[in-house]
Amino acid sequence: MIVHRLIVTALALACCEQCLPGAITFDASGLATAVGADQYWPSQRCGPGGAACVHAASSQPIEEWHFRSLGKGIYQKGVAVWASPAVAVVGGRPLVFVGGCDHTMHALDLLAKQRLWFKVTNGAIRDAAVVGEVAGRAAVIWGSSDRFVYAHDAATGQPLWSRELVAATATQGDVDVAAPLVHDGIVYVACFVYDKAFATNRQQAILSALDAATGTVFWSQAIDTGPVNAPAGREIDGRFVLFLAARKGLVRALAVSRQGPSPLWTFQMPHEVLASPAVEPDGVAPAVFLGSKFGDLIAIDARTGVQRWRRMTGNWVDNNACVTRLNGENVVFVGSYDRCVYALRASDGGELWRRRLGSEVFSAPSVFQVAGQMRVAVACLDNHLVVLDAAGGAVETCYYVGEPQWDSISKGETLWSSPAVLQAGDATVLIHGSYDGVVYVLPLRASVLEVSPWRPWQIWVEMAAVLVLFCAAATIVRLRQLGHRQRPVASRY
Amino acid sequence: MTVFLQRIEDSLEHLVANGKLVEQALTGMQGSYVELLTILAVGLLACLPVLLPRRGRQWMRHLNQAVAFFIFVLVVYTCMGVFGMLRNLIRGVNEIGHENILALYFCSMPVTIFVTSMIFGPSFCGWTCPTGALQELVAAIFGRRRGAAAQTGRWRPWLMAGTTAAVFLLGVAYLTQTRILFHEDSGIYWSEVLIAILFLVAWRRSVWDRPLRKLRLVSLLVILLAAIAGWQITSPVHFTFAKVWDPASALATLVVILASLSVPHAWCRYLCPWREVIRWAAGHSVRRIESVPSACQHCGKCSSVCRLDAIRDGAVDRAECHLCLRCVDNCPASAIRVVDRWRAEP
Repeated sequence: MIVHRLIVTALALACCEQCLPGAITFDASGLATAVGADQYWPSQRCGPGGAACVHAASSQPIEEWHFRSLGKGIYQKGVAVWASPAVAVVGGRPLVFVGGCDHTMHALDLLAKQRLWFKVTNGAIRDAAVVGEVAGRAAVIWGSSDRFVYAHDAATGQPLWSRELVAATATQGDVDVAAPLVHDGIVYVACFVYDKAFATNRQQAILSALDAATGTVFWSQAIDTGPVNAPAGREIDGRFVLFLAARKGLVRALAVSRQGPSPLWTFQMPHEVLASPAVEPDGVAPAVFLGSKFGDLIAIDARTGVQRWRRMTGNWVDNNACVTRLNGENVVFVGSYDRCVYALRASDGGELWRRRLGSEVFSAPSVFQVAGQMRVAVACLDNHLVVLDAAGGAVETCYYVGEPQWDSISKGETLWSSPAVLQAGDATVLIHGSYDGVVYVLPLRASVLEVSPWRPWQIWVEMAAVLVLFCAAATIVRLRQLGHRQRPVASRY
Repeated sequence: MTVFLQRIEDSLEHLVANGKLVEQALTGMQGSYVELLTILAVGLLACLPVLLPRRGRQWMRHLNQAVAFFIFVLVVYTCMGVFGMLRNLIRGVNEIGHENILALYFCSMPVTIFVTSMIFGPSFCGWTCPTGALQELVAAIFGRRRGAAAQTGRWRPWLMAGTTAAVFLLGVAYLTQTRILFHEDSGIYWSEVLIAILFLVAWRRSVWDRPLRKLRLVSLLVILLAAIAGWQITSPVHFTFAKVWDPASALATLVVILASLSVPHAWCRYLCPWREVIRWAAGHSVRRIESVPSACQHCGKCSSVCRLDAIRDGAVDRAECHLCLRCVDNCPASAIRVVDRWRAEP
């Protein structure tokens, strides 16, 4: 294991753009307070609604940046190249925290366009990191397949604590650690431990509550016999409620505190669930939204666990939905493997719009505002990141984010990375860890992505150019033909 | 109009997208997507012309095409269309020595076709190719025999070219309004060139038909360069192979179909890049068609049945022949025959 760790560390050092001595550097180049007050990312998709957007005041634009890390790994079911990124403003600096199959958590400084620090773990990082305040400073917390949860100082990379979630055994297989959730000084983290010595029905998914400051385990409880997805949570009636979806489709609501979990209700989804729930962040009667492999999106009353409405899409809904306020009402956005993005009224599931894209929509949507207009960003299996108008569903623009670096992938078995947004006026950027091994940082100035604006007339211009080329080629061919006809005898002798 | 086109697209999408009968590759090698079925199917379908007797051979050929279409469209995953095969070949060659299983995956289909063409001649074009089969089927249903354009007056080719252009422009206008076009959708440029060719052929077919066939080489070079540059361009009929709905490819397919009503096998004649590869392989193949000039009665039957204008006065142009064997089957004097020329042992 030590040798493996050394090798991975050496590779990380060798392959990254910035080879840093040790694990920590900090470039204090006067960029602090350039973006605004500190903003954190407390759960998998930033908040209970899953908008995956951090707001900050702006003063300095962020440039486009493609961060490359390790090369090819071996395709493993369920392990994305990159986990979804977490974005935070720490000490006035916009930072991105992203881990992946290279076993490494990378902290990227968006202003300086350099890697600030990294931490190599002993396993693949399968889910997003979170950023929360711990003892007065920002800490980035993530789980790794090596059974550990790590907490590091977000700005410097200094280790704060690490905690082993389950003890190692000789027959232990992979440990699937979901994205943590930080609330009120407590880190909630779910993991699934596969032990080859146990029968399938004795495998265990464990939910643990750790002290965010020290990593001390407050409590740890077995909650399922299969994998569980990252929790979402919000306060309801004065209690903090966690919503957990098991891969087998059982959704649980647990009122959690330092003392322990208290089950509220369960709801059985009709099929397998790969996503985490999205919860209405506002309102007195919130709903939980979750899609399944059956292809439906179900709204569940967050208080009672009773189904409110159910809406079928044309194919699997693998990733999280996102619920946000739009034009005075809550709207749910969700991508489906039927190649469509749906915008549905959160109250009754009525369809506001549906937009078909080039291929299966595998990512969770990110919702943000640019130039006063709400936008939705999703990633598709046609290798493009697409930005749509949230109000009408019109495609604003897109960006090519590369082909999967693994060729033998199978659709629907891995949750590939979803985009995240730092919304900061002119400094607004879209961040996406693509399955081609690159983390794309794409500026979103004005109304469209600056990097690749789409104009419908382009195709007509290009077609005209092709036609001109063809006519020129045909003319040359014809002239050559006439030339040959005029001098057949001379050329023969 | 947009709503009407949207409904057409929805219908097509429901009909075609996710049309595969199997969820995963059949007979895939362990842990990979190397479809042995693809290789076996292509190999067997290429061998069939050798085994069949002359009587009823054309019916068997159509059956062969139908089986190939069924396999490629509804079962196998490896075949990604004529452009995709070339792209896969480049990728596969790059993987040799690094990821050999991937190299096998990407190279299996093009290499199988190439090898069978080297042995059995261009039987892939005449007996197996789904794009060729589609053109032949459409021409058989809606068109007339070879030379229909020339035989039914001068207005018909212009009308067909104009109709094809109108459908194409309408389709492109619709696509630009409803989606972003990527460089993957560059297949529409091939459609555009095909329509331009139709107009030229409608103008003076006897002048333009032969020289324009050299565009296949240009098409091949463009696709190879794009593949080397890492661009993925989807070809016509690709949308039927993939699980993903590809409207640009569907539009390109529609143009190919309409063009084949005007000029038989228009795509194969002028723009198919893979045809250029097969032409070279078939030029060195063991199996070939040969004519016996002394036995030829100059009845013109062979040239009247050839849909590719690949035979004239009993002389076979091997660069254009698809080895459909129509000329062989229809020659009353048996002056055209299939021969296997294995190199003699030293």
